[in-house]
Amino acid sequence: MGETLSMALRATDTAGPRFEALYRSCAEDVFAYVFSLLRDRSAAEDVTAAAFERAFRKRRSFNALRGSERAWLFGIARNAALDELRRRRRSAGLVTDPEDPAWALATAEDQDAERRATVRQALAGLDARDRELIALKFHAGLGNAEIASVIGVSPTNAGTRIHRALTRLREACHATS
Amino acid sequence: MRRPDTTLDPLVAEELERLDAALAGSADADPGLEALVRDVRAEAPEMTPAFRGALDDRVRAGFPRARRFAWRPSRTLLVPALGAAATLLIAVAVIGLAGGGGGPGGSGGTGKASSSAGTVSGAAPGAASAAPPVTRESAVPQKSAPVAPPLPLTGGASGRQVERAAQLTLTSAPADVQDVADGVIRTAGALGGYVETSQISSSDQGGGASLRLRVPSARLDDAIARLSELAHVGSLTRASTDITAPVVSATSRLGDARAERDALLRALGKATTDREIASLRERLRLNRSQIAALEGELAGLRRRANMATVDVTVEGTGPKAGAGTGGAWTPKDALHDALRVLEVAAGVTLVACAVLVPLALLAALGALAARGLRRRRRDAALDAA
Repeated sequence: MGETLSMALRATDTAGPRFEALYRSCAEDVFAYVFSLLRDRSAAEDVTAAAFERAFRKRRSFNALRGSERAWLFGIARNAALDELRRRRRSAGLVTDPEDPAWALATAEDQDAERRATVRQALAGLDARDRELIALKFHAGLGNAEIASVIGVSPTNAGTRIHRALTRLREACHATS
Repeated sequence: MRRPDTTLDPLVAEELERLDAALAGSADADPGLEALVRDVRAEAPEMTPAFRGALDDRVRAGFPRARRFAWRPSRTLLVPALGAAATLLIAVAVIGLAGGGGGPGGSGGTGKASSSAGTVSGAAPGAASAAPPVTRESAVPQKSAPVAPPLPLTGGASGRQVERAAQLTLTSAPADVQDVADGVIRTAGALGGYVETSQISSSDQGGGASLRLRVPSARLDDAIARLSELAHVGSLTRASTDITAPVVSATSRLGDARAERDALLRALGKATTDREIASLRERLRLNRSQIAALEGELAGLRRRANMATVDVTVEGTGPKAGAGTGGAWTPKDALHDALRVLEVAAGVTLVACAVLVPLALLAALGALAARGLRRRRRDAALDAA
């Protein structure tokens, strides 16, 4: 009881600095993940900022027993991104940017442009669920259990889904090349 | 409903392990997967410096929020506050209901006075013709409450003869029944009355006493006031019966009988024959008996009018004499009061729980349903993307 209380107090005292550290280590990954879901830079920026703000406001509700901080943060980002997708469905006016100019420019300068273009095409051809799993696995670097926590399924189910997504990505890459 | 976990297929597990090795950059990682990881990571979209800078600033500032309202309670504050307000309301309602019910035995509790008055017709003993009016008043006054005003039917100046009676129930602690009964007897004597009948019993469980007093009618109010001082008044009923008609009738018949006696005496003085004298003497004997009976009847009626009947019942079921009856407040009383407060608090808590627990369950179910619905809609949005 006393130990739990002192842990909670310590967590309260260090919540601010810990959040900044989490932000510094995850900001790019969260943005990449949100962008993968929305495929719209402007919307991804808004949602990323909103996700971090939401996480900041709820930082004291984080419970280490329910998963890692990264999984918790990506869960918040996922909800924010899906809420944005729902808003879009309702308004049905905004069309996503098909291609990000800066992104295209960056990849064009790459030496392995052709191979990456193939991967980019394969990624674009994946459905949203597979794209999400690839982003969580490859960009965010989350473990299978963390991904399971983010998308709300069991670790076994998450492993199976990740494997399927990986298989589809590979097939898409081969088909494109 | 989520399906239960099954073991991951060994081939899938192996493939995932290879993927994890490639992601971790292990030396023995699959070259094909390594290349895929590298290419996919190279495709990771990056923040623009401007956006990154702006977000850094907001994080450092702690996401300052534009204040639209002076005070906006958070849910963590609002829910307990609403719960406390609801509990308070229920407590007030329960206490109000408990007070209105006027349950017995409350130490120092203020019993609410309730009274009813009415006139009922009933045959008075000895009534010759018209039924005399009987006026009744009932009250359950507090011990210290003023005694009810005298009844309107009185004798004396108006020339009417009124029989007055009262029934009084006193509640005392079982151990105090004898003392209260003694006090009742002393009161009757002090007011010029007497105890007609009495029955007193006492035991650890309760005990009680039943006494019938006769006190001068003119001092009935005084008697009730003094008796009310002896213990908590459980109930008080007062009645008045107009016995003027029986008194008038008896007086008239007595007058007739006396006139007849005078006439018989005069006739006896003039009688000359033995037979006539014997007949008159026999009639005089009957007349004396009649006069004696009528005088007795009249005396009884006057006694009923002059001496009121007070039936006092002492119940040994009340609180201790010291508790709220003017005695010193002892630690025992304090303990009793504390237990009473705890009892009331427990009752209020129970009632609050009876109301709040189902509400909380409904709210929890609603929250769960809303959460499930939101999750389903989000998943649908992802599928549609």
